[in-house]
Amino acid sequence: MRAAQQGDRVSYKELLRTITPRIRQLIRRQRGFAGTAEVEDLVQDVLLSVHTVRATYDPARPFVPWLLAIVRNRLVDGARRYARISRREIYVDEEDVTFSEPATNDDIGDVEDAAALHAAVRALPEGQRQAIELLKLKELSLKEAAEVSGTSVGALKVATHRAMSTLRRTLGKRRE
Amino acid sequence: MNTNDLIEDLARGLEPIAPLWRPGRRAAAWSLGAAVYLGVLVVGMSAVNSHTGGAGAGFWVSQIAAVVMGLLASRAAFASVVPGLPQHSRVWAALAALVWLGTLVAASPRDFDWATVLAASHEWICVGFIVVGGAPLMLVLAVMLRHGAPLSPATTAAFAALSVGALANVGACLSLPHANSAITFAWHGGVVLALVAVAALTGHLVFVWSAARSRSIVDGRAGYGT
Repeated sequence: MRAAQQGDRVSYKELLRTITPRIRQLIRRQRGFAGTAEVEDLVQDVLLSVHTVRATYDPARPFVPWLLAIVRNRLVDGARRYARISRREIYVDEEDVTFSEPATNDDIGDVEDAAALHAAVRALPEGQRQAIELLKLKELSLKEAAEVSGTSVGALKVATHRAMSTLRRTLGKRRE
Repeated sequence: MNTNDLIEDLARGLEPIAPLWRPGRRAAAWSLGAAVYLGVLVVGMSAVNSHTGGAGAGFWVSQIAAVVMGLLASRAAFASVVPGLPQHSRVWAALAALVWLGTLVAASPRDFDWATVLAASHEWICVGFIVVGGAPLMLVLAVMLRHGAPLSPATTAAFAALSVGALANVGACLSLPHANSAITFAWHGGVVLALVAVAALTGHLVFVWSAARSRSIVDGRAGYGT
């Protein structure tokens, strides 16, 4: 951690990689009922907290008590958060994904002809097609898609909107 | 984002950072600044030293007790934002608060009348001095404490308020004449207690984990999430 405070990225990465399994083990022991995703959330929360308050580490003092204090604190906060959320949540076992009325399912899952959809996508202008491929088919985030395409997030949003309008129009005409 | 990606991002974005000073040193630095500020404030008050010349030993003992309490409470506040530190400084600060109140009670006249004490409306000036005069001290202290880890926001805020209240109380005692220690006990003690209570209740609004901010910085740079 001393090296990390001096900006040594390699040592810092090594430190985080070393402590992560121990943090995970500790959280699993404390939160035996937690699922994998919840445990990983807590692990990441601890890592972010360690990163945020790394200036509070005194190189003259042992590292483990410092780390354990943070882990304990994040676990307590996590438990409070969990209790707060579970008080407000209502669990619903079985619910229809869509409503049974056909009118409410107008556009959803209505394109039966995959070939027509592919053709409509292929017919889109280059920018719009790329936006659809990155965001809707590869399911990248806006930022990731912007990095890949080399355009701005705003331009991607516009291209996606236009592409969706064009597709709706094209496929709508085919249905008629 | 998976944990390995997070580690990569945290390591990639690492910048050198100076370790915080130890709690005692930070408390000393803040207290020094507070002493200078309160000194200026006291000198600025027209009634300065008009009464302290004739003040008895009890008055000075309670002022010294308040200063010690202020120092110990600020140390406890700074220690509370450092993970893994033993927390005995909290006990010392709490004991110092009891000693301060004890000195005030000891210096009070035996036959004081509570109704008169509570009706001392001129004490509202002291309340204003402690609350308004102490506000800049509290602000600076809060900013300094926010550089630490918000492990127990209520405790941190309570000790910060105790420290500010103690030192501002000394400023008020030196600036304005008081008929007796019973008035100081009731009014100053009450204000400090109220400040501590308010701080403890609102501390969680001031001292919060900035992990979310850290996460957003990571997201913004590495392009995760939208």
